[in-house]
Amino acid sequence: MLVISLSGIAVAYASAFATSGIPGWAPWLLAVGIPFAIGAIMILGATRGRQGIGPLKVPFAFVVVTLALGFCAALILPAAESANSTLWLGLPVRAAIVIYGIGLFPTIVLPIAYALTFESQTLTAEDVERVRSLARGIEQSESEGIVDQPGPTS
Amino acid sequence: MTGSLGLSALIQASLPSAAQPAVIAVGAVYFAVVIGISVWAARKTRTAADFFVAGKGIGLIALTVASVSVSVSGFAFIGGPGLMYAVGLGAMFIVLPASVTNVMGAWVLAKRLRLLGEARGLITIPDAIGARYRSPAAQGIAGVAMLFGIVGYMATNALAMGVVINSIFDVGLGWGIWIGMGITLAYSASGGILAGIYNDVFQGTLMAVASVLVFFFVLDFGGGLGEISRTILAADPAFLGPWGKLTPLAALSFFFVFSMGSLGQPQAVHKYYMLRDPLQLKWYPLLKTLGLVLVLLLYFGVGVGVKAFVEAGRMAPLASPDQATPSLLLNVTPIVLAALVFSGVAAATMSAANSFINIGAAIVMHDLPVAFGRRLKNELAWGRGVTVLIAAAAAITAQQSGSMVAFLGIFGWGLFASTLVPTLAVGLNWQGATRAGAIASITTGLVVTLALEVAAYRKTFTFPAGVTASAVALVLSFLVFFSVSWVTRRTAASSIDPDVRLVMEM
Repeated sequence: MLVISLSGIAVAYASAFATSGIPGWAPWLLAVGIPFAIGAIMILGATRGRQGIGPLKVPFAFVVVTLALGFCAALILPAAESANSTLWLGLPVRAAIVIYGIGLFPTIVLPIAYALTFESQTLTAEDVERVRSLARGIEQSESEGIVDQPGPTS
Repeated sequence: MTGSLGLSALIQASLPSAAQPAVIAVGAVYFAVVIGISVWAARKTRTAADFFVAGKGIGLIALTVASVSVSVSGFAFIGGPGLMYAVGLGAMFIVLPASVTNVMGAWVLAKRLRLLGEARGLITIPDAIGARYRSPAAQGIAGVAMLFGIVGYMATNALAMGVVINSIFDVGLGWGIWIGMGITLAYSASGGILAGIYNDVFQGTLMAVASVLVFFFVLDFGGGLGEISRTILAADPAFLGPWGKLTPLAALSFFFVFSMGSLGQPQAVHKYYMLRDPLQLKWYPLLKTLGLVLVLLLYFGVGVGVKAFVEAGRMAPLASPDQATPSLLLNVTPIVLAALVFSGVAAATMSAANSFINIGAAIVMHDLPVAFGRRLKNELAWGRGVTVLIAAAAAITAQQSGSMVAFLGIFGWGLFASTLVPTLAVGLNWQGATRAGAIASITTGLVVTLALEVAAYRKTFTFPAGVTASAVALVLSFLVFFSVSWVTRRTAASSIDPDVRLVMEM
């Protein structure tokens, strides 16, 4: 998903160099490609062995959809801002979608999802101890000259 | 999150003189606190690990506030609101990624870097690249690429400090640069990252307080956000369109570079090594996101507020967009609030400079010797010596022409992004990544960023509207990383040590 979304973003940028000007579909590729690239890299980081991403699929899907819908809504809704525009929490509709939808919703959802799933998806005291234990074992082996020294080789 | 772009704007803003008794008094108190913290930290710094990663002994709150402090730079206070005044809501696409970047960084990098630090005693970002790919070459190339970015960042920070200190104390730009760098150098060389962290805590708190106070002042003065919007919509409706006066491609491009690129900013990701207890990462993204939202309130508030006040005739038209914040502070807000914000801007530039001095010194005295198969004997003494050299070089470079220094700063963010994000952020999470892929990606990021930025600076090449060198270099670096790793995939498994593999599988 990361490679595909980044390829879409690359095509959008490449199209901007066309002599006939930026094609109309280029912003759409970014509007969809960016949320998927962000979602993909978060999935890559949050995947825990065979356990996958578990319950995190819900907040991840929410954020990808929110960002994509927000960008696409900003592209597709008519530019009708005027002194008589309806305001949502003090901003015209398209601006409110950008500021509150893209800027605030993920701010609330993602950090809370991270904290609530921290022990099951991210890190436990046992994980930390496993790493420390392996490091101690390697250090001991090195000092006794039992195994090849791990670390950079070339 | 917006370092080089904003510093360039700050440099070119040439702030008006704010040298009034209240501003000077608050500025003097600010510098006295910075010096006090530095003296305390110097007494606690005894080893290279203390100097470069604070001995992995920083608590959650301190680390969070410090991370917020180094993430924003003076841009959040001067350049950003000015850009917003000029192009409208499109400027928000530089800071909107903050809604996802902190959690993205936590999932992608925080745990793995912190655990690698635990297993290997790592102290730098190139260290992690060297460990991941079992490659001193990758570590050295990453270090060299980072040094290019640091030179630019340091020079722009030094000049930005000079601009702000001159504005507060009216001492002249040249003296402002030397005073700012002198104080930053004093605490960097004596107390290392420990002094930096606790000064960042003080500076970040100051920035958040100043930002929140200015935001609510603007809302109150303007009669609420709805009234401010109505005033703008009557005069200039395009300003409050979703892209402002930018093209959709340009605004979305900002979002891409400043979201993905955040994973390669060493001043922020380096902090993951320092957390005392890895389990405290649980609350780190939430606290950092909240902190960033508070610090960035001024960016939005001043941007829309000044636009409305000028349109309504309550403020005189600005001589240039970058005067948005200074004009508001010096003509509309109470002077104590102005004093707080000016000190906050000084704080932002100093915290960023300190962080880069420390990171640059670690590369010179640690990563580059490792790349050549050597180790320095007294890393702490070397660290302090190199710190002095980097700061002096930055201050001297900052005395050059403003446009040259601004250019040096512009590619900093993009260079870190294109050289580090694929290799570090993807590489630490994907066992299919190879040493050859990493080296090819870092080299691509470095060469493409430098070539395109230099071509753009010399006006031998013009990008289409909405496309930036940073974005092109980042995408190319990603694609080269995946392509070369795929071609050399047979070597992938053999390039991961058991402890690194364990960390990657967790």
